[in-house]
Amino acid sequence: MQAANRQIFHWMPVVFVLFPILILLGAFMRSVQGGVLPELEGWFYPMMTLHGVGMVGLWYVASMAIVADLLTRYVRPSPVVANVALWGTVIGVVLLLASVFLGRYAAGWYFLYPLPFKGEWPAWSNLVFLLSLTVLGAVWLVWTLDLLRAIGSRYTLPQALGWHYIAGRSEPAVPPAILIITISLICGIAALVSAVILMALFFLEMFAGIANDPLLMKNLTFFFGHTIINLAMYLGVAAAYEILPHYAGRPWKANRVVAIAWNCVLLIVLFAYFHHLYMDFVQPGPLQYIGQIASYASAVPSTIVTLFGALLLVFHARMRWNLTSILLFLGLAGWAIGGIGAMIDSTINVNVRLHNTLWVPAHFHTYNLAGLAFLVLAYFHHVCQNATGLPENHLLQRASALTMTFGAYGVFLMFYLAGAYSVPRRFALYPAELAHGTSYAFWGMLCALLFLLGFLLYLGETGRRWWRAVAG
Amino acid sequence: MLTRLLKWLFGVLASLALAGAAHAQASADSGRALFEQLCVACHSIGEGERVGPDLAGVTQRRDEAWIERMIREPDTLVAEGDPLITALVERYNGIIMPRLGLNEAQTEAIMAHLHALDSGVATATAPAAVYATPELMPSQALVWRMFLLISAVIVLVFAAVAFSTGRPREVSIARAYGLRRVLFLAALVAVAGVLATTLPKTPYAAHGNAAVTEVDRIIYVAARQFEFIWSDEPIVSAADVGRVPRLHQLAIDSGSTVEFRVTSLDVNHAFGLYGPQRQIVAQTQAMPGYVNRLRVRLDEPGEYPVLCIEYCAAAHHRMRSSLIVR
Repeated sequence: MQAANRQIFHWMPVVFVLFPILILLGAFMRSVQGGVLPELEGWFYPMMTLHGVGMVGLWYVASMAIVADLLTRYVRPSPVVANVALWGTVIGVVLLLASVFLGRYAAGWYFLYPLPFKGEWPAWSNLVFLLSLTVLGAVWLVWTLDLLRAIGSRYTLPQALGWHYIAGRSEPAVPPAILIITISLICGIAALVSAVILMALFFLEMFAGIANDPLLMKNLTFFFGHTIINLAMYLGVAAAYEILPHYAGRPWKANRVVAIAWNCVLLIVLFAYFHHLYMDFVQPGPLQYIGQIASYASAVPSTIVTLFGALLLVFHARMRWNLTSILLFLGLAGWAIGGIGAMIDSTINVNVRLHNTLWVPAHFHTYNLAGLAFLVLAYFHHVCQNATGLPENHLLQRASALTMTFGAYGVFLMFYLAGAYSVPRRFALYPAELAHGTSYAFWGMLCALLFLLGFLLYLGETGRRWWRAVAG
Repeated sequence: MLTRLLKWLFGVLASLALAGAAHAQASADSGRALFEQLCVACHSIGEGERVGPDLAGVTQRRDEAWIERMIREPDTLVAEGDPLITALVERYNGIIMPRLGLNEAQTEAIMAHLHALDSGVATATAPAAVYATPELMPSQALVWRMFLLISAVIVLVFAAVAFSTGRPREVSIARAYGLRRVLFLAALVAVAGVLATTLPKTPYAAHGNAAVTEVDRIIYVAARQFEFIWSDEPIVSAADVGRVPRLHQLAIDSGSTVEFRVTSLDVNHAFGLYGPQRQIVAQTQAMPGYVNRLRVRLDEPGEYPVLCIEYCAAAHHRMRSSLIVR
């Protein structure tokens, strides 16, 4: 396929342009908190909103883009729908930028009801923000359905879910990526339907004055948000299943254990979101306990099967280490470490101390930055390198990976440490009693800038190859 | 005789003047405390606009009677269509100053403080205390060390596997799957153990069925943008704020079990109770239309800051209160 016609080459510049901007917004936030730019306090919450929605949205679409690309080896997703997804995302982003920069919209990426109606931003910016999410949710739902349709054109649903492996049969051979993508996309439908209901309820209140129940809205919001970012992580893992074997020189096949593990994830992950409502004591009690059980349970298949399988694949392998395989390997480690931070916080009597502290962004930045982002960037480099065959600059590639890793883990450590000290999340400035939070934020800012440097080195290698692939 | 009378008269007048000045000072001091408790979340003095206007020079540019009414009954001014407050509401994105439930003496105290600021007698803020980094509480230290330890194990395992690729060889899949089985069983046992240990210790278990008679004191907390309102009776709507007396200085006896009944009058907030070591001892959400009951036994004497830790718009990081355990 000509590079110019391959959809993933259109998604790469979206990431290459938006990611550095969103990193700078994160560094800006830490600089306000770190006492470097306190006079820009008034922009902290709007930029926090843009950074949060932007990063979640960006890495979700990037993970969808890489699996849509790898699916083309097996099935035929619709190019028309792919274009709709791309341009719909661009339109959604433009609306988001308008609400934040023109309206100073600052309801946060949670947009937790009823805050969007009760902030210091004008009502029109709330409408534009909700329209942005509606456009994004609609095009992403259509995209999800098309990818499932494409999978369904070759595999029946039980086959795609690997039920024949569970029954003890190994034919037809279904790549593990297909299994994980199918499960993730089913979760994606559930998440996006929840978002549709949420949007409908917001618009009903906005235009018809029908008041909503805050507890119901909070459940819908977190079911949508938690599920969508987790499935994005799984899509990144699917890409790792698909391409890591090329670098290890060993196959990584689906089998009974893989199928059982990922079917368990399908069941469990939909209930884990309850851990976001532990401190809402009015939530029905059984749901709280289900939240902790599901949160713990979801870690077992991913750790024991996927991480063990990846480590076994690489163990004493004749490994071809390049930017792709290094980032894949580091990305899986980041997923594991972020998972530990998450499991600790998903323990209810620990959550009493950690909820809404910086421990929360600590664990999800670990997952997303040193987990999902590394896996996606690895896949991008894999595609660009295969398309161009340029000689690889191992020094530059290692420098990029190491700089991004040190920068990222510096950011995380400052978050985890501040969280352990009960420094709250989402504070533009810290009170005198928590002045140590200011110094952690300052070092976090420097580490974010170090990460950005590492990403610029990545662009030097991968961006160059992208340009050669599309222009050549 | 006349000299003695004049001296006596001068002494009386001087005493009255000094008493008046002392009263004004005491009034301004208590006004400062009220101002910093209730006003600084939304207003600065000379540091620019926040959610509301900068109040530097306000006593010189606004009528005193109007300012007093703004402090005591801003909602009444809005209802009357006062042109000045109408223009301010429009300028500040529709944000309306809430009724704070202050009485006449408290209003006078705040006025005295504003006068003191504008005449240069008082400074805008009390000198900021400097706090050293505290010791981590034992529970927090345990969490931090557990995380570091397990992460270190993950890093070591990944590093060992990465370095093993320097010596490529065949690996026994059967042995590997045997190890996986052992790890799986170990993980199941660990998960079951942690669940069994931690699930009985949830805050819901602590007071879900426990009798109210075990509580020494019930305190109602109504959170709203951008303050916590303490009271001995429920406040369920903004209309209750003027009707139900609010508590301004909350003092609890050490060793008491307190049940905080927490709600919100507008958006989601969170009641983050920090202890004297400046780390969270307990928390619960404040959700409009619902009441979360948080039971805490407060043993250690000292000041307990209360911070809002659920993002609630522009002055979220200034929304705070405190209580004293004595």
